[in-house]
Amino acid sequence: MSTRFSRAKSFFKRKDNIRMLALLFPGLAVIGLFTFYPIIKMFVMSFFDWKIGYQQVSQFAGLMNYAAVFSDKAAGIAIANTFYYMLLTVPLQMIIGLLVALMINGIRRFTVTFRLMYYLPVITSWVVVALLFRNIFSNQGLLNYFLMDVLHVTNDPIGWLSTRWPALTATSLLGIWKGIGWNMVIFLAALQAIPGEYYEAASIDGLNRRQQFFRITLPNIKGTILFSLVMLIIGAFNTYTPIMVMTGGNPAHQTEVVLTWLYYQTFSVSGKMGYAAALSFLVTAIISVLAVLLFKVFSPQKEERKS
Amino acid sequence: MIDQQKQSRLKRNRKHTPWQMSMRYILLCLGLLIMVIPMVYMVSSSLKPNDIAFSYPIRLIPTAQEATLSNYDYVLHQKNFFTYVGNTLIVATATTVFSAALSSMLAYCISRFRFPGRNLLYSIIITTMLIPGLAMLVPQFELAVTFKLVNNLWGVILFYTAWVTPFSTFLIKGFIDNIPRELDEAIYMDGGTVFTIYRRVMLRMASPSIAAVSVFNFLFAFEEVGWSQTILKKDELRTLPVAITQFFQAHNRTDWGYVFAMTCLAMIPVILIYVLLQRYFISGLSSGAVKG
Repeated sequence: MSTRFSRAKSFFKRKDNIRMLALLFPGLAVIGLFTFYPIIKMFVMSFFDWKIGYQQVSQFAGLMNYAAVFSDKAAGIAIANTFYYMLLTVPLQMIIGLLVALMINGIRRFTVTFRLMYYLPVITSWVVVALLFRNIFSNQGLLNYFLMDVLHVTNDPIGWLSTRWPALTATSLLGIWKGIGWNMVIFLAALQAIPGEYYEAASIDGLNRRQQFFRITLPNIKGTILFSLVMLIIGAFNTYTPIMVMTGGNPAHQTEVVLTWLYYQTFSVSGKMGYAAALSFLVTAIISVLAVLLFKVFSPQKEERKS
Repeated sequence: MIDQQKQSRLKRNRKHTPWQMSMRYILLCLGLLIMVIPMVYMVSSSLKPNDIAFSYPIRLIPTAQEATLSNYDYVLHQKNFFTYVGNTLIVATATTVFSAALSSMLAYCISRFRFPGRNLLYSIIITTMLIPGLAMLVPQFELAVTFKLVNNLWGVILFYTAWVTPFSTFLIKGFIDNIPRELDEAIYMDGGTVFTIYRRVMLRMASPSIAAVSVFNFLFAFEEVGWSQTILKKDELRTLPVAITQFFQAHNRTDWGYVFAMTCLAMIPVILIYVLLQRYFISGLSSGAVKG
């Protein structure tokens, strides 16, 4: 403790360190006040029967909120739906994005045009594309038109958005469609960073194209795969707008995801703040565990590459 | 000479048969169709009168007689349309500027100085990156009430800034780590201070990464819905994405011509930014990603 104190004392002696603190402070203040403090508060709230407003006394509830979340079927459905969305969108947009990147990397002309066009859905607002997909998947929408009048697969329109799994699948398709461009761009950058000599050496050694992909390409873009995985998992848990716009959680909360359910619990019903806080904290825990697991799985390889 | 040989051998090795090449072009074009058809459909629906937007057979390109700008006319004459656009631009610009300043300063300090609590600070930043902004809805809403930020554009700007700053810091720090320290030291020797280094080296050398995160922060603030609809309840304070969802509900969810005219208009600023700044979209993002 005393060494730490003396270190802190010598630290403040130098004028430059005070200048550095001046640079550090604004960011610290904003993150601390508007993000870090709410996280702590959320954790505390999750143990109370929290009331918002003047003169309200919040009662300590122990683990009641957590028990409520675990016994709540709707919360289970919301979490399961989020996982369904994640398991469908994350691998598919990565694989398709990587395939597109490989193909764009392998052609000579129009690379910029392809890159620009494939990236277009990424920059479009979620509200815009979610409304668009809601229209496409609606009863008289583009998809039913194709299935009925062009392909003649069915005679009656399919109510994509009115039952749980088709609705979630439609939302996931939106997620995949919107995410391909993002993955394509970061994988393309990773592919272009691999030195051409590697492939040269490999083809001298007689490796065919598939072997080259698995022995050279994949190991060299491992860092990018990890980055993309973590970002996409965070993104999947961040899903709010597409569900809100495409299904609104209907029918009967069958298609809620974690954030839409949280929002509903907080503002629409009786304002179950403690319950919402407990659910938030559980979600945070799930994401953290997933992120740590991913880093554990990927990191030995990363060390090897660095040394 | 040797280099040239190497180059030509490289080219020969990576050369593919014409059949493979054309396969790639065909597949890419097919994929492109899937990417673009929904967009084309949206633009064409916005040009059709509401009553025939859904009439069968659906045509991707409206005929000359059908095409009309009446939907746009209607949307542009909505009471607060330009207020929504203005609000959104204010929010997005302010968020971008603040988060660029804050995150570049944080990134510089974390990357260059060893101060007590540095590792703790960095791990806090990484952790907050993992948590969805909306998950902290309740405590953040309380905070907003305390600071009188409800029905106030600042309430949106400050929270957006706090949400995006951790990830921006993470990306910019990765970039600054690769800037040689010799540059800092040279300025230091010339009698410069920490501020001088920040201004002359960091802002200049790290500008690609700052530009990249700024583009993403702008897009995020431009499209966020959940928090904005929570905290901005007055109609004249609404941001465009929230206004679009309200407009959609107010029109019985059927007048798609109007809705699509509005979404097309909402895309214009984004497309403009994209076309003007597109190299930052690619370069900055990949610099962080390739490093892992």
